Amino acid sequence: MNYDLLKQLVAVTATLGLYSVLYKENKFYRFWEHVFLGLASGWALVALWTEVLKSGWWDKMLGASASDGNTASMGYWMYVVLLPIGLMGYLVFSKKHNWISKIPIGMILGFYSGQQFGAWMTYYGPLFTASMKPILPNQSGFFKPADAAAGSVYGSEALTNIISLITVLTVLTYFLFSFDVKGKLLKASSTTGRWLLMIGFGAIFGSTVMMRFTLLIDRMYFIWIEFIKQGLFHMK
Amino acid sequence: MAMNESQAPSLAEKLQSLPKQVIYGILLVTCTVPLFFSVKLPNKPIDASIDFYGQTMKLPDNGRVIICSDWTNSTRGESKGEMEVLLKLLMRKHIKFVLMSIGDVQAPQVAKDTIREVNALEKLTGGTPYKEFEDYVNLGYFAAGEGTILAVNNKILSIAQGKKDFPEGAGPKDALQSPVFQGVKSVEDFNMFYLVTASSTNRTVLERITKCPLMFMVSGVMVPENNSYYAAKQLKGLCGGVKGVYDLETLMENGINNGSDSVESDLYRGEKIPGWPGKGNTGKGTAYYLALHFALALLIIAVIVGNVGMLLSKKGSK
Repeated sequence: MNYDLLKQLVAVTATLGLYSVLYKENKFYRFWEHVFLGLASGWALVALWTEVLKSGWWDKMLGASASDGNTASMGYWMYVVLLPIGLMGYLVFSKKHNWISKIPIGMILGFYSGQQFGAWMTYYGPLFTASMKPILPNQSGFFKPADAAAGSVYGSEALTNIISLITVLTVLTYFLFSFDVKGKLLKASSTTGRWLLMIGFGAIFGSTVMMRFTLLIDRMYFIWIEFIKQGLFHMK
Repeated sequence: MAMNESQAPSLAEKLQSLPKQVIYGILLVTCTVPLFFSVKLPNKPIDASIDFYGQTMKLPDNGRVIICSDWTNSTRGESKGEMEVLLKLLMRKHIKFVLMSIGDVQAPQVAKDTIREVNALEKLTGGTPYKEFEDYVNLGYFAAGEGTILAVNNKILSIAQGKKDFPEGAGPKDALQSPVFQGVKSVEDFNMFYLVTASSTNRTVLERITKCPLMFMVSGVMVPENNSYYAAKQLKGLCGGVKGVYDLETLMENGINNGSDSVESDLYRGEKIPGWPGKGNTGKGTAYYLALHFALALLIIAVIVGNVGMLLSKKGSK
């Protein structure tokens, strides 16, 4: 048995182990669950050093000499300041000195808040603009022909935009929590908004189910096609 | 005897209390059997997928893009198919790419494994395999996603500084020495920013990348949310779930507005965008699509059976 097939065999056993919980709780499942957790933790620990601390801090602090086609780089000793700032965060566990931990936390909050000003506008700006749609047709036909000119609004598009506008407004009224909704119109709008939200959640739930099915199909493909059919029996 | 008959569960009770092991068993069979049959279902790609394909095909040959790969094996069913189809497209157009991840520490390795597999597939159909460091450079994982993506937008070279790439059979190399970074001054020197994700990193990227066009490949559950971004033109194209993958495989086979078998689209009116007919375009999308339909049919039947059972029991109690 070659190495690739052996790897696949372990993966198939792990898959069966984890799926065995569907029948009932058992030790085979527990074993593979712990293997998975251990591997993930170990991998994360190594990656924390190699991908984050070493390349992003240690190497930059010490610099490097030219070797094997790589150019030399200067070390920046100021990076050493980051160590005590980072360690301050752990003082959150000290009853006496936990106030010190607020310094790095404050820095992180400050950086994040500063970013969010621009981020908010980049995220919502185009969504606001896209919500402003024409609701009156400027062409006589109902369906948009294939050679329609830019800027032309046909009946079908206007109707779609009206539905979109109604959805936006009614859903917004559903979230009016700051005062008591008493008016008939507002109540009807709020109820419509709730119904439309439910339809939206239904569509999202449908997508979720489809995704979960795909994950199961993928595992079955791995076991039956990639491992058994192609791996063991060498069939295409 | 009469007493036993009265205690036997009615049809309504039976319909509502199928053992879960039986349901799981039926589901496993339903998801497995169609995988053995190579049936290509008829397909009409949606606009978001057509744009994804069209915009990628319009990138200049030998161009340069960024791929932020934020998926792991937990969503392999959807994300791997997406990554495969994206890599095939880029490799066939000889587009170099920077690979990075902000989603998960396992993501860079999973992406590298997929590149290796797609390399082997492309080699079989006469394509040229991609070499790490020469054709793509792997920057690995970045822990602070928000800050990193902001830095990508404002000063991309700073995030690659100090990062090493580890091409097979060679020692670690400075990522910035890679031919992929030659001549790069800012993120504007990249033709596209692709994000393959199954987590909330879509929002991190959407909020911060303003100087480079964006296209997302997301899992099925994220499609409703990301459709809004596509509709608001924040994304140039969108590939969602298995349907998105199957759409792209269909488009790779037939092209857009390109003859009798091709996909006709008003989005590219007057333009002909070619495909690569017969060049190993089928992948996970084609393989899974039939099984997905059977699984969804089973779900619908299960809902009907449960509701019929409930109606019968209500009727019986009256």
